[in-house]
Amino acid sequence: MTITQAKPPAPPRPERSTLRHGISVGLARRAWLRLSGLLSLPLFWLVVAYLGALAAMFVTAFWTIDSFTSELDKTFTWENFRTLVGKPVYRTVAVRSLVVAAGVTLIDAVVAMPIALYMAKVAKPRTRALLVVLVMTPLWASYLVKAYAWRVMLSGDGPVTRLVGTVGEPLYGLGATTVVLAYLWLPYMIIPLFAGIDRIPNSMLEASADLGGRTWRTYRSVLLPLLAPALVAGSIFTFSLSLGDLYTAKIVGGTTQLFSNVIYDNLVTANNLPFAAAAGAFPVLVMVIYLAAVKRTGALENL
Amino acid sequence: MILSRAARIWLGTLTSLVLALIYLPLAVVIINSFNSSRTFAWPPPGLTLAWWGKAAQSQGLRDSLWNSIQAGLFATLFALILGTMLASAVARFSFFGRETLSLLVVLPLALPGIVTGVALSNTITTVLHPLGISAGLFTVVVGHATFCMVVVYNNVLARLRRTGGTLEEASADLGADRFRTFRLVTFPLIRSALLAGALLAFALSFDEIIVTTFTAGNFKTLPLWIFENLFRPNQAPVINVAAAALIVLAIAPVWLAHRLGGDAAGGRL
Repeated sequence: MTITQAKPPAPPRPERSTLRHGISVGLARRAWLRLSGLLSLPLFWLVVAYLGALAAMFVTAFWTIDSFTSELDKTFTWENFRTLVGKPVYRTVAVRSLVVAAGVTLIDAVVAMPIALYMAKVAKPRTRALLVVLVMTPLWASYLVKAYAWRVMLSGDGPVTRLVGTVGEPLYGLGATTVVLAYLWLPYMIIPLFAGIDRIPNSMLEASADLGGRTWRTYRSVLLPLLAPALVAGSIFTFSLSLGDLYTAKIVGGTTQLFSNVIYDNLVTANNLPFAAAAGAFPVLVMVIYLAAVKRTGALENL
Repeated sequence: MILSRAARIWLGTLTSLVLALIYLPLAVVIINSFNSSRTFAWPPPGLTLAWWGKAAQSQGLRDSLWNSIQAGLFATLFALILGTMLASAVARFSFFGRETLSLLVVLPLALPGIVTGVALSNTITTVLHPLGISAGLFTVVVGHATFCMVVVYNNVLARLRRTGGTLEEASADLGADRFRTFRLVTFPLIRSALLAGALLAFALSFDEIIVTTFTAGNFKTLPLWIFENLFRPNQAPVINVAAAALIVLAIAPVWLAHRLGGDAAGGRL
């Protein structure tokens, strides 16, 4: 790199009493003005476009659709919620979705742990930087493409099917959906875990070793408790993303229906917006309970 | 030496194994885009470039690609403006409700995508449609910007926290006004974080399908087009090429963001 001597900076021009100067002084004197200026647009956006839309959804949830004219009937009724709670099929699908989301989270936590440990405590700085890129990259390689890749692998003619020895019979179903979701969201678990392990000073692990703790004991009694917030942060992503997913079940699920598919079918196929809005309350409720339950761990600050 | 030798070897083996597993499906797609068998028999009987030529001719693919680029650029622009403003407020001020606000920003990422999708779809039908606005590029951009904002916010916030406010104060002490300080001090400080955030926001928008499903109307983005053609056997070769191209295209922004930000592709999303 060549170093060129920069011209000595010109002495700052005396600020003239222009409009710009006036604004600048006004802003400098009044912190609240600066703050409200900065907050105005983003808050407007978040509150109107996002929270407003969510609120409107809960209003629509209490409406119905006229089955003859397909017009919205805007009289308040609990009918949609009664159907959702009353019909066994919705309960089955809801429980199935929760089990899948929990399964995906568990698989990801188990698979992510060794990688995160290796990245944070074993790999040398160069390898570690490379590993971070290697883990992050698939996250941005089209979601649809990855689900599709699994469809190819699990197809009647695909590599996995050949490996298992059931050629001609695609391996699509609930199991495939769970595995593919776990595959898709794995980086969301690895990254917070890696960051969490990285923050734990080596001296803690050394102290455990000095006190006679072997690798497994150190892992169980020192590392794991300290990692709880990171695990929770990762699980928010894997759980929420699984719960909100729509296409994986369509692509590798065979006839499997998850709760998101029910919402989609009601909105797009049956054109029943109020019922879809009411059904949308379920994932919101689950996530609100989940977030409230984990708030104490401090994981939310790690998102 | 904190981990036993055996433990380190174990961890290394597991890491390579999982990484191989992560990349295997992607490799299968890329190889299949050259597979000379029309039914994608495995292993491929031969390799061909014919599908790539055919894909380049596909009007549907080209149109949807252009739509996705437009949506991505606008969403990134909105996300940059909103995310930077919000990050500056949170980093440089302490005010009532700051904690709530920083939780509110990540909500679009923390709540399942289908919720955002249904909520926006409902808004389009019940509020925007009577006003004469129908689903299309605009609604897609609004939907995308809501969660793209988070990645810009995270990147800029991390940078602002790391640099502290002292440089801006020094600039003010030397007589620069607010605007000059922003132009000469703050902006250069956060420039690479902005660029990294923008790249990630674009990648996020480019790939999004769930919120898009509910906000797009007849505006077909690339993921929507791919899904529509996923189950049509005669389109399979073109889909394979599009998929392979997307994988390769995804590597560029992440790699760039990582080089630029340091904190960009690293610690968090």
